[in-house]
Amino acid sequence: MPQFDPEISRMVVVEEDQAQISACLQRLMADSGASYSMVIDRAGQILASESDEVRPEMVHLGALIANTYASTQEMARILKEDGFKTLFQEGMKEKIFTETVRGRWLLVVIFDKQSQVGMVKVLARRSSAVLANILDLVERRSTEVNSPRFRQVGKATIDTIDLLFKDDGCSDDE
Amino acid sequence: MALINVAAREIHGKIVYYGPGLSGKTTNLQYIHSRIPSNTKGELLSIETETERTLFFDFLPIDLGKVHGFTIRFHLYTVPGQVLYERTRVAVLNGADGVVFVADASRDRLPDNLQSLRELAQNLTAQGKRFLDYPLVMQYNKMDLPQGLPTPVLDRYINTVKVPRFEASAITGKGVFETLRAISKLVVNKL
Repeated sequence: MPQFDPEISRMVVVEEDQAQISACLQRLMADSGASYSMVIDRAGQILASESDEVRPEMVHLGALIANTYASTQEMARILKEDGFKTLFQEGMKEKIFTETVRGRWLLVVIFDKQSQVGMVKVLARRSSAVLANILDLVERRSTEVNSPRFRQVGKATIDTIDLLFKDDGCSDDE
Repeated sequence: MALINVAAREIHGKIVYYGPGLSGKTTNLQYIHSRIPSNTKGELLSIETETERTLFFDFLPIDLGKVHGFTIRFHLYTVPGQVLYERTRVAVLNGADGVVFVADASRDRLPDNLQSLRELAQNLTAQGKRFLDYPLVMQYNKMDLPQGLPTPVLDRYINTVKVPRFEASAITGKGVFETLRAISKLVVNKL
């Protein structure tokens, strides 16, 4: 099963990367008629998303899909398979197709009955290949980025952590 | 793996609460969810069995707000503690930036704690992480119960790697935020 590179403790996505990923997702949506697409990492964090409308529930969906995918990789291991490369969920209104990108990221496409499953699968596979090249570069560059800016953000974040995570919390119910 | 999205001005980190069954991992997340302001948290998602034991994971996204123009987000997860779900724990642990090991301080749970900790070390090592350098804190939960082992004993048996550890009673909230603060800082320091 592909794993995270332990030497890379972070992935840094800059504007140029984001633009390339978004362009790929937009093309996929336009060609397939899908309503939503996103790229998530294996931790379920959204790297980029494109949508016809704002869908805040996608944070939870990302977590569920990433963990479901990780779970299927464990199934594959038990069955002595190399891995399962896709996931597919079919609902009455919407369908979700997930394709792995290099086994390290996931391309998620949400579509309705206007789109054909076969078409979505073919186009997602093609997009996955394009995204793989982009994300390989992003990953390689992430090891080289050592910006003092991030250290500054880290220092300020620690102050925020102290403020927000007080011993009794700070519920707005009080 | 922490995700720094410069384009979207976001930083994401994943923290996993690990430990034996019924040690209080879900209770930690429930307490955090009940005590932080609604504008900083998402819905607490729990995938559980009919008997309300964790089947897959609990998930709580937390938004720390903007720091130097970046929105900081932590995703908190628990793993299912029951022995049967070992492979599910491996799946949930994937990509974690830090781990809270929630130990049950009860005298009769010491073997379960040790087994779970050994398993955690094996799983992290199998994922290519160096266990001794990994962002890890321990929480000795249920310290309020009369059958709880004293802290020095727990230190001697469970915390042999000498990571930060906190006494807690997750059901009352004691030690919950102290633990969260500690692991969050360890994760941020790895940025």
